[in-house]
Amino acid sequence: MFKWKKIRHIFNPTTIENRPIWMNEFAQAPNTLIFENFVRVYFSCRPRRLKNGQFTTHSTFLDLDIKDLTKIIYISNKPVLKLGKKGCFDEFGTYPFSPIKTNDRFLAFYAGWTRCVSVPFDIAIGICESKDAKVYKKLGDGPVLSASLNEPFTISSPKIRKFNDMYYLFYVSGSKWNLINNRKEMALKIRAAKSVDGFNWTRFDKNIIEDKLGLTESQASPDVIFKNGKYHMFFDYWSSESFRKTKYRTLGYAYSKDLINWTREDSKVGITVSQEKNAFDNEMIAYPHVFEIDKKIYMLYLGNEVGRYGFGLAKLEGELT
Amino acid sequence: MKWEKLGQIFDFDKSPFKKRFVSHAQSPQALVFDDFVRIYFSTRKKEDNELFISHVQFIDTSKDFKKIVNYSENEVISLGNLGCFDEHGIFPINPVRIKDKIYAYTSGWARRDSVAIDTGIGLTVSNDNGNTFKRIGEGPVLSATLHEPFLILDGFVRKFNDVFYMFYIFGKKWTKETKQDKSERVYKIGYATSIDGINWVKANKSIIEDKIDENECQALPSVIKIRERYHMYFCYRSMLGFRKDKTKAYRLGYAYSDDLINWIRDDNNFVFKEQPSAWDHNMMCYPNVFKLNSEVYLLYNGNDFGKHGFGLARLENI
Repeated sequence: MFKWKKIRHIFNPTTIENRPIWMNEFAQAPNTLIFENFVRVYFSCRPRRLKNGQFTTHSTFLDLDIKDLTKIIYISNKPVLKLGKKGCFDEFGTYPFSPIKTNDRFLAFYAGWTRCVSVPFDIAIGICESKDAKVYKKLGDGPVLSASLNEPFTISSPKIRKFNDMYYLFYVSGSKWNLINNRKEMALKIRAAKSVDGFNWTRFDKNIIEDKLGLTESQASPDVIFKNGKYHMFFDYWSSESFRKTKYRTLGYAYSKDLINWTREDSKVGITVSQEKNAFDNEMIAYPHVFEIDKKIYMLYLGNEVGRYGFGLAKLEGELT
Repeated sequence: MKWEKLGQIFDFDKSPFKKRFVSHAQSPQALVFDDFVRIYFSTRKKEDNELFISHVQFIDTSKDFKKIVNYSENEVISLGNLGCFDEHGIFPINPVRIKDKIYAYTSGWARRDSVAIDTGIGLTVSNDNGNTFKRIGEGPVLSATLHEPFLILDGFVRKFNDVFYMFYIFGKKWTKETKQDKSERVYKIGYATSIDGINWVKANKSIIEDKIDENECQALPSVIKIRERYHMYFCYRSMLGFRKDKTKAYRLGYAYSDDLINWIRDDNNFVFKEQPSAWDHNMMCYPNVFKLNSEVYLLYNGNDFGKHGFGLARLENI
């Protein structure tokens, strides 16, 4: 089993004074870019909900001191990306946001949200670029990965990686909306696609992580890192049937030698909810992101209410093997 | 090219469909059988919330189009599941024979919050000789992409030179004149190619030049090969005012190509011998061109977007 040491709850948007309206609460889906002197953490926030329960999501970033990751040295005061135009897939939200550095620029894949009538929303994955990693510009009004024959809706939770000169996009898709306690809920499953150029994607067209809780298990945040000869994936999962009641959402783990065939081994994950009464992560931990600095492995993760009060940092003791 | 009008061949209001549906017989598309011609179309039901849902039905006509010999009495294609691209209607449907099977590309509609709808193109297959169709997947085979952000519909598929070609339309923008208006859409004709009819590569371009202005809306491309030339029939209208003002309403357009890639718009070379008649004098739309024996025919809708049925024309000399 891995041994993660929780360092602390490092960012809570609700405690920031005079914060922008769109940063009212939530700091979801942390993903990093590593620079010489700092680690840039992208995350997604929400303004207050409208009376009808609707909300928008906006991605932004903060910078952590690379010598002391608990120290925030900068918090951006504007979103990295504008919401989409009228009728576009990303008109009402850009969340999550997954960046990658290329030879000449930064690219990011993000999930765009639109509102539907019979179900609350649909989601597809868009692409944007930046020269400075602060302001991103969309490369088109439409998505780069959207609904397809066997992935009919909610193409979400992108994590972009490059391994062996090939881009890999890990993401989730829905397959069926179910009516559970008068709410429309769906099970999301982890999927993947690969691409030479980042624009034209070949989907694996299958669920790559086996279910543990059965068909109603939802999975998200398929975060992959290559270390010690294999690919490690940390993700989160929950029961779409009982989630609203139990609020229980926790982390899973899988590994692969070839990025195609994955072996799930949750017993190795080595991190779970806190036991302390007032901890920000005593009901759930979600949306893991694992990264390496100076040969040390760190994890950012969300706490209760899927990151309403932000994210925490943990450090791996020992090796990712 | 001169066309002879054969008149309105299907009148919804005098049809048995009036018992089961509210109105409309839109986008008629033909599939030729040994003894009859089957014409699929989309007709409408009204939901509790007063909104319409399009359902596919068909009639079979004699090969001289003078007699309806059979018609559908049951569901031809079910609507999509909750949250799917085709949950709120299928319009149009494009039937096509591929080897010994009958397939149909569907345009599925799903309601949206900030704009009325979004759409995608799905694929269905029939195991009972075209009486009913089942989808081969819950999702679309052609949907929004980076430069075609929404409203992918009106797929028309034919195989030419061992390659599948799909002509379809894609949305360019949603826009309105004043704040009080509902948003209206602008859409153009594009195409994609495929080896298997399932996985498509979009050309990512608008292939028919505008005649009205940059906001011209183009729809329902339908293509036929006559000798060595490809002929495309489609409809087009102004972005605004098209529902009530007949000068802005749908009318039929025409283009030709020798390579399926470069199209020359030539509406002037598309002429009807007859004057407009009562059922199509305000509007002509949703054309479908097909061959029967050695003749070329064109199905199309008339006034009110096909509310009252469809008619037929025949190409005078090929």
